[in-house]
Amino acid sequence: MKHGLSRLRELLDRHVIGHDDAKQALLLALVCREHIYLEGPPGSAKTRMAEIAARGASLGFFFYQMHRDTRLSELVGDVVLERRPLADAAGERIHQAIEPGGILTADICVLDDISRAPGEALNVLLRVLNERKFGERPIPLLTAIATSNPLRDEYYNEPLDPANLDRFALQLRVSGLIQSGDRAQARELVDRFADGSVLEQPEPEPVLARAELDRLHAELARVEVPALEKDRLVEFLRRLVVDYDCNETNSLLTDRSFLVKAVKLLRGRALLAGRARVERGDLAVLSQMTTFRVPEEVQAKVPELIGEITA
Amino acid sequence: MAIPELERLRAALDLAVHGQDDAKLGLLLALLAREHAYLEGPPGCGKSALARALASASGARRAELAFHRDASAAELLGEVHLRRESRAPGERIAIELALGPSASAELLLLDDLSRAPGEALGSLLRVLAERRFAGRALPLETAIATAGPPDLESYADPLEPTQLDRFAIQLRMRGLVGARRFALARALLDRELEASPPPLDTEMRHSLQRRAAALPIEPAARAALLRAVERLAVAAGSETALLSDRAFARAAPAVLRAHALLRGGERVTPEDVRALRFMLARRVPEALEPEIPALLEDAIRADPEADRGAPGTRPAAAADRTGNAPGAGGGPPSATIPVESLEARNTSLASVPPVASARGDDDAAGVESLTRALAGRLERGAVERGDDAGGSPRSFRRMRRLDEILDADPVEALLLLEGRQPGGARVYRRERRNAGGAIALLRDVSASMEGRLARWAGQVVAGLVRVGARRRMRLGYIEFNHESERFASGGVFFHRRYRRVLALAQRRRAEGRTNYEAPLRTALGELRSTAGRERHIVLLSDGVPVLGDPTVRNERALARRLRVKVHTVFLGSGECPAVLDEISRETDGLRFEARPGPGGRVTLRERDERR
Repeated sequence: MKHGLSRLRELLDRHVIGHDDAKQALLLALVCREHIYLEGPPGSAKTRMAEIAARGASLGFFFYQMHRDTRLSELVGDVVLERRPLADAAGERIHQAIEPGGILTADICVLDDISRAPGEALNVLLRVLNERKFGERPIPLLTAIATSNPLRDEYYNEPLDPANLDRFALQLRVSGLIQSGDRAQARELVDRFADGSVLEQPEPEPVLARAELDRLHAELARVEVPALEKDRLVEFLRRLVVDYDCNETNSLLTDRSFLVKAVKLLRGRALLAGRARVERGDLAVLSQMTTFRVPEEVQAKVPELIGEITA
Repeated sequence: MAIPELERLRAALDLAVHGQDDAKLGLLLALLAREHAYLEGPPGCGKSALARALASASGARRAELAFHRDASAAELLGEVHLRRESRAPGERIAIELALGPSASAELLLLDDLSRAPGEALGSLLRVLAERRFAGRALPLETAIATAGPPDLESYADPLEPTQLDRFAIQLRMRGLVGARRFALARALLDRELEASPPPLDTEMRHSLQRRAAALPIEPAARAALLRAVERLAVAAGSETALLSDRAFARAAPAVLRAHALLRGGERVTPEDVRALRFMLARRVPEALEPEIPALLEDAIRADPEADRGAPGTRPAAAADRTGNAPGAGGGPPSATIPVESLEARNTSLASVPPVASARGDDDAAGVESLTRALAGRLERGAVERGDDAGGSPRSFRRMRRLDEILDADPVEALLLLEGRQPGGARVYRRERRNAGGAIALLRDVSASMEGRLARWAGQVVAGLVRVGARRRMRLGYIEFNHESERFASGGVFFHRRYRRVLALAQRRRAEGRTNYEAPLRTALGELRSTAGRERHIVLLSDGVPVLGDPTVRNERALARRLRVKVHTVFLGSGECPAVLDEISRETDGLRFEARPGPGGRVTLRERDERR
């Protein structure tokens, strides 16, 4: 692992125990400039990890807690009314414009509790995330990290529109150490809080320079993807569709995600491991793409499927 | 494609998106015919990428509108201008709407059209269709709209077919993976990025469009066009198809000419009628889609002698439009199909023999009557719209709090701030449908529910899911034979994962024997802990219960006490067991039966009607 990235990983490890997958995925998202979605129960360190990764990478940071009445203007900046006289001086032009702020000016943003926002206000936001431009103007955003609690029907929130969820190339389910029954790590966590040492931790400081992140991103294109791994990727998709009955109604196996972004993430995995060539082990990243894109029962078998394909 | 400019356009599209030949052809047709195009498809299949690539390669001045649910007409069309003139003793204030970037665009991209609220869309689409705004002709040549597939689980109002009729070209796209085209998908991974060919300039583009418009249409091609439209109407059933004169008399000839030009032809011949398939995505039922190529081939071949029509005069509308094309000399006078002849042929539709099988549709139509009746019954529980900050803007109301000024009519907000609007500004009333109760679907899967019965039951379930989804009802799904199988989502029985239930509805399984008690008990148990007035059970079965309490006495009493309506649907040719009637009567539910009718159809009707 490259220098700055390993320092960022150390920073994450220092502040948060466990959650290896999520930490690695966060680094991958930063290097590949992809968005990442973390879903998990309250108090499972989702927001904390997102925040540390963001701050540690010394990037312009924007944090927003979504709520039921979230309006677009809270995310993109203030709405201003502009008044200008018309050319014929017989009147004036009144124009509603947006003073860019929030996600329009940030390099990295954390959108907390994303499923709480009204479904459609989200749509505009996520379009901005996806196209990395607002109107005609490009925005500096590299990575958006969204977190959410698992959806419960009793609550007043709507499932994320699948098209919206597709904007997040990486999707992870995070569970608490205690809930997942990882006793050793839970014990470590309890110790840490019992000692009070965690309270003395300084706020995360930048450990990864922007220039280094840019350099890593530029290196992505030079990572070689052997034909065999491409074959395996398509075989993976074929198996999902043919053997596991993933189709357009129950899954979201879009060309954009699995034929374009997947390749980028494979390269990112290789790069994180300090390689210039994708190896079969990198295909494991696919299971972090399918999380909410295939039915739950299929997702349970995805690691096994990847194992079969790479065997 | 013999014309070098066309090949350059095509090459640019090929560079932008791999595969998707139909969509590429459709877009080229739209550009050449100066018609609007609508691309529908799942996220990430290249809709927007293709539209943008065409915009760049064609050298057209472009503008892009991104749609969202809050999009207001003013936002889509342009800006609000406030004209203030002093006029002793006061001031005259007038509001004008000035067309924004779309006013100067030659190619307009409408991204995510399906997310726009219907109200805002109406006025925009009118402008698109007329290509005029405030008395001025627009330079607009082609608008390309993209949209996701109609989706049960998200909130957008469905697009009305009449609005879509303004898009002559209509296509459904599928992803390579979704369409199981794995070889193409693999080839995509090997793609090297090349430099795109230089874009056309305006003169080249217009000259192509003029060339297309000038191609003569053979009488045989006109006859084939009419035959194709007739066949489509018959196959689709006139209720569900949207075969408008606008589309098929006015736009289709232009599309056919573009098709002829694309293949390098000198005139439009019957084979160009194949281009109609690019116009049909939302005009005929989706179920008909696989039959369209055969149907068009049939129309191209059939009976050229009998249908030879006389060349007609050019209708005024088409002449006017061609006149708008920059520098267009206009096609030869016989080039457009007279509208009159289309209408005359329509009267004799009944005599045209139906093509191929539309039987799947007949079944669906039968289910429609049931779902309509059930929908009516559910509607009585009134699923009201409620004010909601995240809802769609539906109308205006007075402002209540100062922070609502962000959602206010901009002109009034300004006047308010100037202290000249006593009583506050108008703000959008945002509303959305409140969630509407719960419905448990109980489907008999005992051994006798085989083949056709299982298919009908699946269709009834699917229809009910759609009814429920429109009302944001929570659904529970049970399959039962001698025991009941309860399908929960994340441990919760009543949920809104509509697509999941739709997938279940497609399953065919038939085993075991019938027991009403078990599924009713399960469903009532779940409903017991569910709040709300609107609680329904729909029981689908083909026979008498042989296990459990055949009269389900306890469950009937419980349903009455909980005020749960139990609707029953009897499927099959036997005698409907009396117990089904009793349950429904006691609980004020509907009683339906699906029986085999003549010609292998299913006849669905209310049991009440019969008695």
